[in-house]
Amino acid sequence: MTRLNKDTIVAIMLLCLCAVFFWATFDIRQPDYGVLMPSTWPRVIIVALSILCSIYFIQSIRADNTNGILEREPGFTGFFKYWRNPLFCFVMFFLFLASMPILGMLIGGVTFVFVLMGLLGGWAPRQMLIHASVALISVGAMWSLFTYGLGVILPVGMIFNPFAL
Amino acid sequence: MIIENVIAAFGAVFAAKTLLLMAVGVAGGLIAGAIPGFTIAMAVVLTLPFTFSMPPEQGLATMVSVMVGGLSGGLMAGILTGIPGTPSSVATTFDGFPMARKGQPGLALGIGVWSSFFGGIFSAICLMTLAPQLARVGLEFQPWDYFMLVMFALTITASLAGKHLVKGLIAGAIGLLVRTIGEDEAAGMARFDFGSEVLLYGFDFIAVLIGLFAFSQLLTDVRDPENATKSLSERGTVKAKIEHLAAIREIGKRWVVVIRSATIGVFTGILPGAGGSVANILAYDQAKKASKVPEEFGTGTPEGIIAPESSNNAVEGGALIILMALGIPGDVTAAVMLGALLIHDVVPSPNFISDNPVLAYSIFIAFFIATFMMIGMQSFMLRVFVLVTRIRMYMLACVILGFCGIGVFALNNVTFDLWTLLWFGIIGFVMRQFGFPLAPMILGVVLGNIAELNLARALAITPELIPFFTRPWSLFFLIIALFSAMFPVFQEHRGRKMWTLFYLPFACFAASIPLFMMGGVPRPVIATIIIIFGIWVLHKRWKTGWKLDVA
Repeated sequence: MTRLNKDTIVAIMLLCLCAVFFWATFDIRQPDYGVLMPSTWPRVIIVALSILCSIYFIQSIRADNTNGILEREPGFTGFFKYWRNPLFCFVMFFLFLASMPILGMLIGGVTFVFVLMGLLGGWAPRQMLIHASVALISVGAMWSLFTYGLGVILPVGMIFNPFAL
Repeated sequence: MIIENVIAAFGAVFAAKTLLLMAVGVAGGLIAGAIPGFTIAMAVVLTLPFTFSMPPEQGLATMVSVMVGGLSGGLMAGILTGIPGTPSSVATTFDGFPMARKGQPGLALGIGVWSSFFGGIFSAICLMTLAPQLARVGLEFQPWDYFMLVMFALTITASLAGKHLVKGLIAGAIGLLVRTIGEDEAAGMARFDFGSEVLLYGFDFIAVLIGLFAFSQLLTDVRDPENATKSLSERGTVKAKIEHLAAIREIGKRWVVVIRSATIGVFTGILPGAGGSVANILAYDQAKKASKVPEEFGTGTPEGIIAPESSNNAVEGGALIILMALGIPGDVTAAVMLGALLIHDVVPSPNFISDNPVLAYSIFIAFFIATFMMIGMQSFMLRVFVLVTRIRMYMLACVILGFCGIGVFALNNVTFDLWTLLWFGIIGFVMRQFGFPLAPMILGVVLGNIAELNLARALAITPELIPFFTRPWSLFFLIIALFSAMFPVFQEHRGRKMWTLFYLPFACFAASIPLFMMGGVPRPVIATIIIIFGIWVLHKRWKTGWKLDVA
């Protein structure tokens, strides 16, 4: 069986997305007033997008895939090694957001920057010292600027305020 | 009345706090522009959260300063390390780096800095003179015309993706679709909320912009673990002293190149979607074609630095012209500026200059002042740049990611915006990896509701679709949208297929029809000139026997 190329997979996923959104347009309530119904404009976009995705799908099938050279090593290990840094960033940012109600913006932000720097740059003692200083100064400065300079109330977290939740 | 508004604008811009913020903005822009991987749009988008608590004049002046600084910052890295700081300064490295390698880094920097200055001043003059005139034309626009203008902006932006036109159009359509999520602005009905209360309010478009542009860019910058741990100073020499007088003398001898390149920059800026990355290459190419010694290009010739630097600084003036006159952003940076205006409850439209004269004149004045500040701060910022180049890329990326989090939350004090940032950061990163251009998607997000509201208004006036094809402006935008969508195909087959010989004349004839329909005197005259040009092109090709370039 010939392997599907990545463009074909993306095209199929986009077509599925179009189908989901088109289906969801039937859930939009239609008011008794106005000429342009709330579902009309999204439907126009989805139809146009579906046509474009179909063209993209046909182009991807017709394209010559025999010369494709994989930049990374095959398999899960190769995938992880190649995409390691962006994956770390996504996961860390996700954890930063998930822990925000507990840690708050200041502690969470400093922890996020410090841990991410360690993951991307290494954990040697000297590096850790530099990373800790950079995280503390940069996030601390930003937090102070927004809190005291611009008057923004940033999330405090349960640690500073047990009633925050 | 105008004098009073200008005086009020001067008062707003020349306030000590505004000037200080502008200086910080120019400095920040210069540094951000100088770091490869950090684009000007990213610098401007990250400035946005700081400005929401400022008065509009002050906030916009700060953002304009970051933009002006960023446009000039790219040349420092390009000339000293051979790695362009921003896509707008790619062509600067073609001759700037060789000149620096020949032992003249100070002269190369000087020529770059002063060319940027002259390009910026030229652009500021165009902005002040053309924007109010274009706004008068914009007052003629009716909903049908506006809708088609948005469609034109999207197709031309997508067409810049070249052979990936379909991907560009898909990105634009996804942007439009993203904007429909949440309450419909015309009827107030919930759309695509999938039962979630937070989705009912839609995505904050600034959070979407920061996610798509800044977040995804940072991840792209640190993708390669080896490059992520490198500092810029490991990649080339970074020490030099700017030679101002010698540079001005060199530019003085080549002022025609400055004017021509700045004109290219302004025109490119006016075209929606075409930014500095296109203008600097175009201007470099034109300078090479017009030169008596084209073979010297690439070896360190001053024209090779003057052309891209004057054009890329002129671009933003052009982009601001169309933003302030018609409410359509000329490029991603202008789209962020539009976001800044919306934060301050100012909706850009043809009435913008007449309704908000003080704010409009403040932007004009800030553009001028920032250009002067840029020249004054370059020498100092060069030293800071040397320090910044010692920082590892991953450290900068981590700190900026942390800042993105704080900044995005500060926009609305809503945690959901942070999740928006993360999801759109992932979407932007994946799209980049699959070769989808992000500019059409960003314009789609920004212009989506403008298109829908104008479509609703048009259909409320008459439910028929005929006016979209019979109103002169609407027809004009439709014709140029179709030809711009066809442009990548034309470029691919140019000189190889017979039909490409007729593309340009046919485009001229088609575009002249709505101009004739507009009536009056100037527009039919312009239409006649366009037709004569088309006939001249056809005549030239007939004389050469309809010969194709490549057999």
